[in-house]
Amino acid sequence: MIPSSGRRLDRPTILFIALVIAGFIIATFDVRSESDGVTNVLREGTQSVFTPFQKGVDLVVTPVVGFIDGISNIAGLRDENDRMRTQLREAEAQLREITALEEKVTQLELINGLEIADDLITVTARIYASGTSAFDNVRYIDKGAKDGIIAGQAVVDEDGLVGRVDLVSANDARIRLITDPLVSVGVRVRSSNETGIVSGRGDGPLRLEMFRPLSSVYEGDLVVTDGSRFPPGIVVGLIDETADAEVGFVLRAAVSPAARLSQIDLVKIVVGWSPIEAATDGDEESTTTTTTDGSTTTTDGSSTTTTATDGSTTTSAGEGEG
Amino acid sequence: MSRSRVVTSLLAVVIMIVIQTTVFGAAGIQPLGVAPALVTLIVILVAPFIETEYHVLLGFTAGILVDLVGSGTLGLWAMTLTIIAYASSRLRTRMAQSPIAMGAIVFGLTVAGQMIFVLMSTIFGQNTIAEPHLLQKIFLPALWNLVLAYPAMWLLKRVFKPTERGWAV
Repeated sequence: MIPSSGRRLDRPTILFIALVIAGFIIATFDVRSESDGVTNVLREGTQSVFTPFQKGVDLVVTPVVGFIDGISNIAGLRDENDRMRTQLREAEAQLREITALEEKVTQLELINGLEIADDLITVTARIYASGTSAFDNVRYIDKGAKDGIIAGQAVVDEDGLVGRVDLVSANDARIRLITDPLVSVGVRVRSSNETGIVSGRGDGPLRLEMFRPLSSVYEGDLVVTDGSRFPPGIVVGLIDETADAEVGFVLRAAVSPAARLSQIDLVKIVVGWSPIEAATDGDEESTTTTTTDGSTTTTDGSSTTTTATDGSTTTSAGEGEG
Repeated sequence: MSRSRVVTSLLAVVIMIVIQTTVFGAAGIQPLGVAPALVTLIVILVAPFIETEYHVLLGFTAGILVDLVGSGTLGLWAMTLTIIAYASSRLRTRMAQSPIAMGAIVFGLTVAGQMIFVLMSTIFGQNTIAEPHLLQKIFLPALWNLVLAYPAMWLLKRVFKPTERGWAV
């Protein structure tokens, strides 16, 4: 091969150019196939080769890293112990107040038609490896298809939503964290009940977008899943700063993830919930239709309630349970 | 040129991937919140020991493995590490001149590698360029690679010494 300058390209340079072009073609193919099919099989195959080594190294390394962490923190442990005793006493007092408040919240949620993410069937898994670069927002867990895990399921820890299952093999799975730009979650702001979409930015706070919201969001507002894809009521994070809708249309705000994503070790995968089943259940529970004359019809599976424009209501038995 | 050197280098890449995802993983050692880029480091450091053609192939293979174990678009690290391998091969004589030159090359090429990846992934629609703490993710791995380069080079010289004398040209 002779370039325009007349100097011959050496073999390594030709190979280099060929490999860069090959990489470009592979990347284009992967993007076009939306990381499905052949590339998924390749990823699963490669990961299954690496898994035993990663698990082995993790088994050895985790206690050592924990020990080093413990040694480095030993000076502050006594002070922390005293502080924690004080906090425990305060927490016990708060717990009594919280129990009373929880009862009130449950009643209010029932009144407002909100659902709470409890009694979910989960599988506990341990994280044994993470991504290969600073730009990867994935973790590998030691549970897979054999444990009932399928792609798309929500992953949570004691603090809130961690991410979603992304790739599954028989004994292992990959989870994509909520900070990943490819992850978007339908959410609801607890205080206002307004819905929006939270998406990752690769690192740090998440981005909340709400379209035509009727109210602002305020610093410290709790953001939970809205039940569109993940079970409703899972804590996603807290609003970082008070924000208003821009020109009355889109509201953008930063949300700090509730889960401490850099420290997660054990996670729970919500296996007993499907958005399709939940939607069907929801449809059976309550469907409200507004007609052109302004009257509304609400069907809850067992009865149909019609509210006329003058405020009068009529109720009839539904087909389901008659 | 011994094939065993290429195989040893490939083995080193695999070991680095395992260490990167576990020891330097999210729950492992991450000084200032960012881990070193071990695969990039090894791809740079094996430059004096293997021929350019094999080195470029090694860079491509290492990149494909990183892509497959990672979550990004397949082929992006392959392109990036191919470029890094080619550049470090061209700089191998300078790398052998002095430890300072080696450190500078490791730091510079790691920064270049991270930047190329950011650029490539942005072109392929991943919006990596808009990530928070981007500069940290570009420069800190380079700094840790610089620190690790000297013990790693000492180890590589010991590993490669028994099989063949002298460095590749």
